[in-house]
Amino acid sequence: MRQWFRIAFPKDYSDRQNRAGFLFVLPALLFFGSVFILPLAQSIMYSFYKIAPGGASQFVGLRLYEKVLTDSTFWTAVQNTIQLVLFSVPTTVICALAVALGLNRITNLKWRNVWAAMYFLPFATSLVAAALIWQWIYEPVYGFLNYALSFVGIPPQKWLQSLFQVRPAIAAVSVWVRIGFDTMIFLAALQSIPEQYYEAARIDGANAVQQLRHITLPLLNPQILMVCILELIFNFKIFDQVYATTQGGPASASQTVIMLLYDTAFKFFRFGDASVMAVFVFITLLVVTLLQWRIFRKPVEY
Amino acid sequence: MQRGGWRMLVILAAVLVAVTIPDSSFAQQKKLVFWTHWEQNPDFNKWYETKGKEFAKKTGYEVELVTIPYQGYEAKYLAAFMAKSGAPDMFMGMANQWCGQYDFCDKMPADLEKVYDENLPKYMIPIGKWKGVRYGIPIEHGNFQQMYINVDMFKKAGLNPDKPPKTMNEWLAAMKKLTIADPKGGEPTQVGFAIRSKGHPVGITDKFLPFAHAWDARLLSPDLDKATGYANSPQMVAALTFFGNLVLKDKVASLAFGNPEDAFGQKRAAVIFRESWFFGWLKKNAPDVNFKVYALPCEKTCPGAGALFPWTDLVYKNSPNKQMAWEFYKFISNAKDDMEHHQSQGILPVWTVNLDTAYVKSRPDYQSTKDMLAQPVPPTYFHPKSNELATAFGEAVVGVLFGKGQPKPLLDDAAARMDRILKD
Repeated sequence: MRQWFRIAFPKDYSDRQNRAGFLFVLPALLFFGSVFILPLAQSIMYSFYKIAPGGASQFVGLRLYEKVLTDSTFWTAVQNTIQLVLFSVPTTVICALAVALGLNRITNLKWRNVWAAMYFLPFATSLVAAALIWQWIYEPVYGFLNYALSFVGIPPQKWLQSLFQVRPAIAAVSVWVRIGFDTMIFLAALQSIPEQYYEAARIDGANAVQQLRHITLPLLNPQILMVCILELIFNFKIFDQVYATTQGGPASASQTVIMLLYDTAFKFFRFGDASVMAVFVFITLLVVTLLQWRIFRKPVEY
Repeated sequence: MQRGGWRMLVILAAVLVAVTIPDSSFAQQKKLVFWTHWEQNPDFNKWYETKGKEFAKKTGYEVELVTIPYQGYEAKYLAAFMAKSGAPDMFMGMANQWCGQYDFCDKMPADLEKVYDENLPKYMIPIGKWKGVRYGIPIEHGNFQQMYINVDMFKKAGLNPDKPPKTMNEWLAAMKKLTIADPKGGEPTQVGFAIRSKGHPVGITDKFLPFAHAWDARLLSPDLDKATGYANSPQMVAALTFFGNLVLKDKVASLAFGNPEDAFGQKRAAVIFRESWFFGWLKKNAPDVNFKVYALPCEKTCPGAGALFPWTDLVYKNSPNKQMAWEFYKFISNAKDDMEHHQSQGILPVWTVNLDTAYVKSRPDYQSTKDMLAQPVPPTYFHPKSNELATAFGEAVVGVLFGKGQPKPLLDDAAARMDRILKD
């Protein structure tokens, strides 16, 4: 309390410095508080209320949790989301790592930048625009993909209209969009690994695979972990691509948790139920992220 | 920080606040904002603005039209209504939803209510009312599906376009003749029926309703309080089996054809079931399609003139301009404007006196509309939770179309879900 008072009414140079620091941080704090903390707190509160927009709210305790968590539609959406995550995250991370390793070997800086920019371009594209482009690519009758596959004798596929192909198809869009961003992170990390480590390894007779396994991957561990966490969060919260392409169809095969949350809140106006889903997503992501951090984080130094 | 620096900071903050928080009352002064999501009818929507200019000469209030994209429109409406700022003064919507499920509508003044009760066709009187109170102005006569056929494709298939199928079995036989299968076993190159299979299940439920009603099935009990025994009745199972077989067994419709209106307009599908507005859409987007419109075929009974979406023009209860909004509605509530407004987009007018005018008689759906209205009146489902109920039911319909399961278990599941929604 005294400290706050001294920040408000500084007496000496040190107090003024503290006040300046506090004022610098204040806009970020206000932004984070109003955009993240406040809605989160509101969501948690709403999850205990049956809310009628424009009308009265009624406290219902844990009833909405019981309702949502026993609803098969919700668990189908969770299952779809997990499948999307399982399709997307490992593929994106592995492909991005492979691309970064390739780019790192290009010694001509100009060409390396050109290739890097090409991989990064999809990330700079609007997700909805990317989804619409892919919708055309996946079109069963006139789509580019089926046309291309016809040259190698593969019959037309239904892609976004198939109960079984829709999730991998959407996951491929996510991989295409995200690969550039992850590649940049890996590339920056690769460039910070001292060349001497590789020289020493080569002198000791290590081949390329051994160098990758014992030098590159351990030293990239923090970046791999970070990318995995970011990809997990991105893919678990997937919405734009699904909304723009399938709207959760066909027959709910691509209905994700966030899509269901959106429909529940803004089509059926059940804010309480939607808040329960939001709390579920928040807790799930928090727990999985902490677990990942705990299990996979291995500080490496040579 | 120096005193001068503080002053600058305060001034900067004040300017920022002034710039980022505009005075909404100033922004909406002398203007009535109208929201619609009927994006397929731009001329119809534009008419409000045109008429608003005439209205402004009398009152000083113009009309500003805002077209909200149909996909996700509910979210935008709801956010605005709840926030109370930035909300429209007038909007298009369903009375059972916005006035029934929520209390966002202003009650229609008695004198205007009298005008509509006296001038609407009898079957439209309940549209725009909730619990006997009128809130909205019905805007769409012929808001029920009719059968649009491509005359040239009928002739080419050896069918007489002047003798449309009258029963569902006759209709299915015609669809088979109109379908051209892919010899390689892929998707057909031409289908008989343009089926709605994509998008939100609410729309799919709406498109399936004529089949359900033709088999004498209904979604909910007459009191709209029970689904089990209705949504999963043997009649409904039979209707959904027939509907699913169009894709799965008979293969006269294809899920790969995308938007059904486009498929019909591109002459890839010979038949579509659509409402009266589709006539205007075809004239504008596919003027080379030679088509005729007929009443829907019957099975156990005839489907009749029914729909899930009773669209009306409403007034937002918390609008500071609501009196003026009603004045505007009064200004356009006459037979002449009704005709001019609907004719601008090729939609059927709603006033009874306009239903036998030269314009209406010249339309290809004149007789079919009369025929549909002569059929038994089908059930209506103007329930406050109609969106959610239709979604639960639509999941069963798309489930069958995409081969997710058999009609009976999927309908049982849907009915149980609908009952939970009704009880909640």
